[in-house]
Amino acid sequence: MYNAPVNRTRTSIRALQVIMIGLCLIVLGRVFYLQIIQYETYANLGEENSIRQQYVSPARGLIYDRSGVLIVDNEPIFTITITPANFNRASIPLLADLLDVADSVVTKRVDEAQRYSWYRTSPLLTDVDFQTFSLIQENIWQLSGIGHQIESKRHYPTAMKGSHIFGYLREADRSEYEATNEIRLGDKIGKSGLELVYEEELRGDLGIEFLKVNALGQSLGNYDGERSGRNPAQGDNIITTIDSELQTYAEELMQGKSGAVVAMDPHTGEILALVSSPHYDVNRLAGRLDRDYWVDINTDSTRPLYNRAISSRQPPGSTFKPLMGMIGLHLGLVTPSTTITNTGGYRRGRLYKDIAPRGEYNLEKAIAFSSNTYFYSLMDKISSSGQLNVWSDLVNDFGLGVPNSIDLPSANQGIVPDSAFMDRWFGKRKWGLGDLINLGIGQGILSVSPLQIAQMTSSIANGGYKIKPHLVSSVQKYDGSVQYASTLKEPIEWVKPEYLETVKKGMRRVVEEGSGRFYAKTDLIQIAGKTGTAQNPHGYSHGWFTSFSPYDDPKIVITVFLENAGFASTSAAPIAALLHEKYNNRTVERNWVYNYVMNWVPKEDNSQAE
Amino acid sequence: MTNPREFNWSVLFTWLCLTLIGLTAIYSATQGPVSEFLPTYIQSNFYKQLGFVILGMILMIGIQFITPRTFLELSFVAYFVGIILMILTLFFGSEINGAKSWFRIGPFGFQSSEFMKIATILAVASYLTSRRNISAENIRYALISVVLIAIPTGLVIAQNDFGTAIIFLALIPVMLFWSGLPYGVSLFIISPAIILYLTVLNWQLGVVSVILLAGAIFFIQRRTWLTVTSFFTGILTVLGVQLALSKVLQPHQIARITAFTNPTYDPTGAGWNVIQAKTAIGSGGLSGKGFMEGTQTQLKFLPEQWTDFVYCVIGEEFGFVGAGLVILLFMFLLIRMLNIAGNHKHPFAQLVTVSVASVYFIHFFINVGSATALLPVIGIPLPFISYGGSAYLTNTIMLAICLNMDFHKRQFSIYR
Repeated sequence: MYNAPVNRTRTSIRALQVIMIGLCLIVLGRVFYLQIIQYETYANLGEENSIRQQYVSPARGLIYDRSGVLIVDNEPIFTITITPANFNRASIPLLADLLDVADSVVTKRVDEAQRYSWYRTSPLLTDVDFQTFSLIQENIWQLSGIGHQIESKRHYPTAMKGSHIFGYLREADRSEYEATNEIRLGDKIGKSGLELVYEEELRGDLGIEFLKVNALGQSLGNYDGERSGRNPAQGDNIITTIDSELQTYAEELMQGKSGAVVAMDPHTGEILALVSSPHYDVNRLAGRLDRDYWVDINTDSTRPLYNRAISSRQPPGSTFKPLMGMIGLHLGLVTPSTTITNTGGYRRGRLYKDIAPRGEYNLEKAIAFSSNTYFYSLMDKISSSGQLNVWSDLVNDFGLGVPNSIDLPSANQGIVPDSAFMDRWFGKRKWGLGDLINLGIGQGILSVSPLQIAQMTSSIANGGYKIKPHLVSSVQKYDGSVQYASTLKEPIEWVKPEYLETVKKGMRRVVEEGSGRFYAKTDLIQIAGKTGTAQNPHGYSHGWFTSFSPYDDPKIVITVFLENAGFASTSAAPIAALLHEKYNNRTVERNWVYNYVMNWVPKEDNSQAE
Repeated sequence: MTNPREFNWSVLFTWLCLTLIGLTAIYSATQGPVSEFLPTYIQSNFYKQLGFVILGMILMIGIQFITPRTFLELSFVAYFVGIILMILTLFFGSEINGAKSWFRIGPFGFQSSEFMKIATILAVASYLTSRRNISAENIRYALISVVLIAIPTGLVIAQNDFGTAIIFLALIPVMLFWSGLPYGVSLFIISPAIILYLTVLNWQLGVVSVILLAGAIFFIQRRTWLTVTSFFTGILTVLGVQLALSKVLQPHQIARITAFTNPTYDPTGAGWNVIQAKTAIGSGGLSGKGFMEGTQTQLKFLPEQWTDFVYCVIGEEFGFVGAGLVILLFMFLLIRMLNIAGNHKHPFAQLVTVSVASVYFIHFFINVGSATALLPVIGIPLPFISYGGSAYLTNTIMLAICLNMDFHKRQFSIYR
């Protein structure tokens, strides 16, 4: 059978050729399948492999004051990064030297980065200063695997602190970054103040860029293929109503004190200054999270994070009297000439004390010298005639006891009781006249914020118009278009010019002859105002002074609230007076008042009225 | 003396084409933009290879002036020298990529196992054709042949170079088959490899192949005992593979074996090479991404892209046109070589040429099969194309010997 080697050779060659050609064709078919039939699949895979989609953070919008002064912008923060796979541990000493930290610190961070990922880039040291950053860049050739990242943080170029206006940014919570595609893990978003309220506008739109990367995950610059990225859209700029000069001055005057200042344009509701003291340093919350500082301000017993200007709830005290007078006039209980005699107090079941000089008081004089008897009597008449709810509605018209629409978070509504509230508070039929008479002088179950007092004063100063307090006048879009904030100016129907005439005169006399005369009376500027004391069961009384100027044509309303201040006339009033001078004249001549304010310390005082 | 017209220029031309394709691919894989991520000793691979190619051309020409009988006469000397070199390598060699197969003399290093391929082919061919009527059908001759191949195979395994061991093992059925081993027995010898492969793909496929192969063996040989033996050997192979995959091997070992069929099981580990290789070839499309433009190649997604995965570079950058051309060139080379063998009168020349063609084919099939995920990843170079001096020179010398014997076939008489 095998004796024919020639045949066998021929057969064997054919067999081998068939096997080899067969297998070669299988391989060829396989290559055809991969390259022609499956081309789309692998072309995509190949592209996915070599392209990394990366988000580019937009620049956050800027914040300006009312005259165009830049008050919040962005500043680069430099982060030194490391890619462990490319890093040579022998360069640790050099790196530590350049960063000016101990070798062990760098070693520890390198180890952490290695544990996280061998190929991915991790931050080594964040928020290094520019000098250090430059030093690293100069020596980058001997530091393989070391890179940098430039991010930005909020920067506050003026002397103005504004912590309670601006608010701070912090990294988004899980729920926040999961709710939208626009926020990613690690992104900082506004958590309070304007940064929170205008987060959407300020944030801008994320950009997308495609980078070429190699198998080690190293970025090799921009990808120039078909996929086009998207440029980030810068956040909108915000034009605030803040007068940064006045604000800075108010902050200075409030230094070391506990309380709030609100300055407002009475015609528009634009907030010119808003200070809550003590404050915190927004600068220290801007960059790398300073954990110690964060814990400090959160646990500080003086509550620096608490915005007293819009959130505190205090009885308005005598600052409430002008409004009370107008209500009396409106309800026909008194006329401007009606007089009530102060005999040292108002007797109704018990004696309600009045420390104003004894004598006859018409409304104007009752405001000027803050006689309690007049207003006890008014409130008595209102309550006795069952008009508590009418009173409550009229008070609401001046912005007290109703939600405030200011563009800051956590503004307090305060309390202006009506019968339903009293029922809830004391229980049905468990309250009576005795709980209401105090309301007439702004005490009892009445609570307001400094902002609301400023709003009330504005409505008096502007001729009886409701206004809407606000901090932002317009939003400048990135494309140049401008969106103006909605404002409000509608007349309060029941307020007649003669009512205003009377109470404004009274308020003017407060400064001329009454409790305001010590510091607020000056030829430089005509101020009208009203002091007040908020009774404080826990210690010294809180002092109020609310005011407007110039008297003839009011341009600014300033409300000062000082905690544990004692006499408002010698604590809150001088601060307001200086601010009136500053705003109207752009300069302060009365240095002795300034020095007085700066050296002022609170005094004990327990009297109910001044 | 010898008419230059009788020289087989087409084979020489094919060899030259493959060599140039190889140089192009190696240039792209080591000197392209990717060089940025490569250590300098790898960047210089292109220039080293260029040197080897020049040396190879000199050898190719020089060898044509040797009398063909010299190869026959020197075969056993070469074999013993080779064995000694391999043993020396085992003790004094240096290790690269886990295989201790490098023997160094001064600044030069070479893989003794590569040269052993020539020596083994020559020695076994010489033995099997030393007397007339010698046939592998005779169990004694067959066994001696197997032993002659098994010795270098064992040494290669001792050097931890399994890829090369497969080449040596594959010589056994080829050389025995050529030397008269009955076809059925030859098929029986290679059947476990086929069954093994198909069982890894799918065990039902393995069982079907057992039945088909046993049937084929019976049809060719008509010997009951051989058929029965082959059937049970086949069944045992299927059971053994199943047992290994389900009980004996650890999951990571199984992952490595089956990565070529299911690379996404461990995409960053065992499956990485397979995924990246397929992606490189597949994304090349019809005409490729262009010389030094392949993202898989230039961004370092391909492992060992100048040697084991060089085919992916060609596939990615030159597309189906380039990758198909390589396959066609190999097909042409193999068919021509088998024709040369068939036209030769001297059994030594026949056997050497067939063996050399088979070695090329197995290298080609395993290398391209690995790159296209037809086979598990087995690291062996693509002849004439992959970087590697020892392999390139060995392959070139083998081809030169075959061309020489063909060129001088009139003087290379069967009769002394």
